[in-house]
Amino acid sequence: MNQDIYIPALARVEGEGALTIRLKEGVVDNIILNIYEPPRFFEGFLNGRYLQDVPDITARICGICPVAYQMSSVQALETALQVPISPEVRHLRQLLYCAEYIESHALHIYLLQAPDLVGYESAISLAAEAPDLVKKALHLKKIGNDLLKTIGGRSVHPVNTCVGGFYRWPHADAIHALLPDLDWARQAAIDTVKWAATLTYPDFEQDYEFVALNRIDEYAIYDGYIASSTGMRIDPSDFEKNYIETHVEHSNALHSHTANNGTYFVGPLARFNLNFKKLRPIARDAAREIGLKPPVRNPYKGLLARAIELVHCCDLAIELANDYQPQGPSFKEFKVRPGEGWGVSEAPRGLLYHRYVVDEQGLVRFARITPPTAQNFAQMEADLWALAPTVVKQPQEEASLSFEHLLRSYDPCISCSVHFLKLKIDRE
Amino acid sequence: MNDTRGDARMKKADIIKIIGVGQSLRGDDAVGLEVVRLWRETYHRECTHPNLQIELIELPGIDLLNVLDGSGLAIIVDATHGSSKPGTVYKLSETDLVSFSGGSRSAHGWGVAETLSLGRQLMPTKMPHKLILIGIEAGQLTLGGTLSSEVQDALPEAARLIDQYIRDEFKPE
Repeated sequence: MNQDIYIPALARVEGEGALTIRLKEGVVDNIILNIYEPPRFFEGFLNGRYLQDVPDITARICGICPVAYQMSSVQALETALQVPISPEVRHLRQLLYCAEYIESHALHIYLLQAPDLVGYESAISLAAEAPDLVKKALHLKKIGNDLLKTIGGRSVHPVNTCVGGFYRWPHADAIHALLPDLDWARQAAIDTVKWAATLTYPDFEQDYEFVALNRIDEYAIYDGYIASSTGMRIDPSDFEKNYIETHVEHSNALHSHTANNGTYFVGPLARFNLNFKKLRPIARDAAREIGLKPPVRNPYKGLLARAIELVHCCDLAIELANDYQPQGPSFKEFKVRPGEGWGVSEAPRGLLYHRYVVDEQGLVRFARITPPTAQNFAQMEADLWALAPTVVKQPQEEASLSFEHLLRSYDPCISCSVHFLKLKIDRE
Repeated sequence: MNDTRGDARMKKADIIKIIGVGQSLRGDDAVGLEVVRLWRETYHRECTHPNLQIELIELPGIDLLNVLDGSGLAIIVDATHGSSKPGTVYKLSETDLVSFSGGSRSAHGWGVAETLSLGRQLMPTKMPHKLILIGIEAGQLTLGGTLSSEVQDALPEAARLIDQYIRDEFKPE
């Protein structure tokens, strides 16, 4: 293929941006993943806001993973103000996070990445050929939405989370009423794993450094230490010393590197590889049944890791919902004081770091938000470089689809790393 | 433009959903939410329809299907991003919406046309008999910005359109 490739819009990713692959005499000369939106708006927007407004404002950064933004932000602020939360609050936050994983993973597995693997242009064309599959996806997603709405008050931007806990406890009956649906979802998730194992994944492996939260007692999603496949394990307060954000001229988004200037990979594959043994037994069994075990180094197989996590989260949600019996106040009263705090949780797309400085009136004086997609950007570009020499030999349309498929396998949320992504290949 | 779907007159028992879609921290992208709020303040009290529901929803994506589920008539109000003057108000039927989305699009990733197409394909009995989109051309989508004056000025016309649709659809025989 000798002509430049230009793909104006990356479909099926959250947000808007562009990818340019520049060729010189048939050889890849440059690869630029470009983001159009103004960077870091929300960090500036939070400055001067009262701390209790932060969870609701940051939830608006993304329509798919608002809970992740709330969870990282409240933890950072609770650290800053030294507010301990009760075990009941922690459990309800875990349940809320399960809801987000169920809806986000169902969306990405079936409607965003599956069309690439089974050869359909979109979820709509997939729905025409395999309606039951897409119906299952929508039903799964709706169960996640319903759970999220029951706890958070709304399904898109939940509003019940606050610094110290929740504004109110959801009714136990309403949570328990969702159990039959969650039982169905768990079985549907197990079926999803079996179905996902029948798909053909492109043969592409890289030697990644995986980074994810880690706990000794559970599969870390809500909180934990930050662990790397290099063996490093650090406290969240040391994140910025070890993972450095730099501005890249061609992109409005910041790119993250390790302190040694290496790329790294966050997300479901990182979690699966680093925390496999902490998965719920039913999820581990589902993985073993399809012969999936760590380390998995093929980014396209992130879909399999998501399917396993879907089983994990449905199973965990059933336990948490069954045990839910709210007692005592839903939030901890606290005294406003100046402080600085860090919060890290695992968004469905990967590690999400927040840091805030608040003053004596509880106003935010500094905000740092490092979303998973920004951390994966440098790794995505490195993967594109590794894939490009083979792909540029393909016909134009096929080449474009191959690049898009790789990027979609990362489930990038450009809305998170900045906001609205588009794809372009130039040749000289 | 003519409405093409659901030629049969709506029944009084059908649920009408008025759905404002948008983003409240993004300049003119909030217009769908603001139009529905204005309609609620100005016209809701006069509206006697027994089954009317108002939804304000930010970045719904494919979750719009859940919102549409069970409605007889859905009126969606959303910002559009095309080549017209900011503040231009469009009245679109479902058929218009499909052709409109070729040259322009809703400001929200998974477009209304695609979502509806998926819904009609997979769950036809749960989708509204009739769907109308009131689109307002956005000028600036600046993060943190407020509505531009052109779009602000278009709010009353768009709110009046909602009222007109409901009156026309359910006027006494």
